Amino acid sequence: MTDNEQTDNTGEAQADGGSDSAESGPRQDPRPDGGGTGIVPPDDETPTWSERKQRTQGLSRLTYEYFERARSEDQDLRQESSYVERDVLAFPTWPHEMIRNLSLTSFFVGMIIFLAATLPPHLGPPADPSSTPAVILPDWYLYWSFGLLKLGPLNPELAILGGEKLLADRTYGVMANVVIVGIIAIVPFLNKGSARRPVEQPFWAAFGMAGLAFAWTISALSIKNLVPIDAHLLFDLTFLLPVVVGTITYAVLKSMREGYMFDLNRRYYRLRPPK
Amino acid sequence: MSIERKDDYDHGEWMREKNLTPVETTFLTALIWMDKRFRIVDYLEILETLYYRVNLQMPKSHTEQYNLDNKFWYWYPLYALGSFSTIAYVVAAVSGALLGFYYAPATTGDPSSAYNQLAFIMTDLNFGFMLRSLHRWSAQVMVAAVFLHMLRVYFTGAYKEPRELNWIIGIILISLTMVFGYTGYLLPWDQLAFWAGQIGVEMSLSIPLAGEWVAQLVFGGFSLGQATLQRMYILHVFFLPFVVTTIIGVHIAIVWIQGIAEPH
Repeated sequence: MTDNEQTDNTGEAQADGGSDSAESGPRQDPRPDGGGTGIVPPDDETPTWSERKQRTQGLSRLTYEYFERARSEDQDLRQESSYVERDVLAFPTWPHEMIRNLSLTSFFVGMIIFLAATLPPHLGPPADPSSTPAVILPDWYLYWSFGLLKLGPLNPELAILGGEKLLADRTYGVMANVVIVGIIAIVPFLNKGSARRPVEQPFWAAFGMAGLAFAWTISALSIKNLVPIDAHLLFDLTFLLPVVVGTITYAVLKSMREGYMFDLNRRYYRLRPPK
Repeated sequence: MSIERKDDYDHGEWMREKNLTPVETTFLTALIWMDKRFRIVDYLEILETLYYRVNLQMPKSHTEQYNLDNKFWYWYPLYALGSFSTIAYVVAAVSGALLGFYYAPATTGDPSSAYNQLAFIMTDLNFGFMLRSLHRWSAQVMVAAVFLHMLRVYFTGAYKEPRELNWIIGIILISLTMVFGYTGYLLPWDQLAFWAGQIGVEMSLSIPLAGEWVAQLVFGGFSLGQATLQRMYILHVFFLPFVVTTIIGVHIAIVWIQGIAEPH
């Protein structure tokens, strides 16, 4: 069916193109004065936009045809779709989102100015390479990365190397950063589908909460000399707490899921009963 | 005898035939004048397309269609976090440009010129204290907003299928934001800055294979000094602004094209 429409369309397009060129025929008779340098092509040969499209050949022609096919395919799928959820994928950035955001962000800019006026930043003593301060800290948003540098105790000591470590503890910490960022980067390739709410996918919500808890605990580990907890206990808690948080999230969402999904599906089916 | 050509392209004659109003005549004259010089016609189609793109009539949103407003209107502030970090970035850029008039990335002297300039900005310069405060707070707020933005995107599943690429661009952006913050953290050249820089050098030296090369490229050597401060300054005020602004543009363009993902 799609193929038929496609060929019909191309046929029409060619017919139109033909009639176009027939119409523009009379204007192409040679000028009697025969003047001009002969370098610049006469204006009459400048193609119109539709002529440009029709003359297109090769790869660009293929691209054009593919776009038309893809568009009609989308349309067909949309009409035949039995999915209730997928028929609206998003709400538009303009104007809905932009107007809402402008009002919210102008409020928050006021908040920045208020914070700047009430809590000014501190300027410490000047740099002195000869005296190491007791507390060395990056800004708060790098604590997690700083904490990953302190994972030395997890670095395996290999028996075949005679108890030596394969990587230095520092290198191990730097590689841990790469691993964390890599895990975050591949999430969309592991978790697909149309589910959008945490209750619909308890596992992924639990994974996210565990990651969030780990971000906090690893940050606490990075400033362990400022946290009033025993260092070994803190190290163990760094890895235990995220697991506990993840498990609790999973359990709560699993138990919420049935009633919640019932409500959600009832609303969908009432509005758009399945065919 | 006139040497003006009287043919199809005599626009003056055409306009006289059409009996136009003065407004139309003025408009057409201006248009023809411009078109003879810049061939506006060639760009008209692009302009037309842009006009329709911007004023596109979109379908009813999911929330409107299924009347879900009452279910998550209170999440809307979290949907503004992306815009919010962009605005904070703009505030930081403006206040940073103003700070740049007074800052000098030099470690000469004791305390260093950089530190002296910071002290000058904070004590002598009119509004200097507020300016630095504004710059620092907008930077902090931007990083916080970017983190929360990522959490919002994760927990509403907004990174899913058509949006994987933007998720990865977002990861690049959040990393660059942190590099932005780190390079800025070193600029005052106080004790915290110096020793945070020391950690940075050691971290880059710990990278397998490329460690020494990275340390020299980013920090200008294995120990901190003038070269380090100079590089941090250029990264902070020249290199990163161009790169990050471009990537933010791409990120927002993709959001614009794909629309805002809603929870179902």
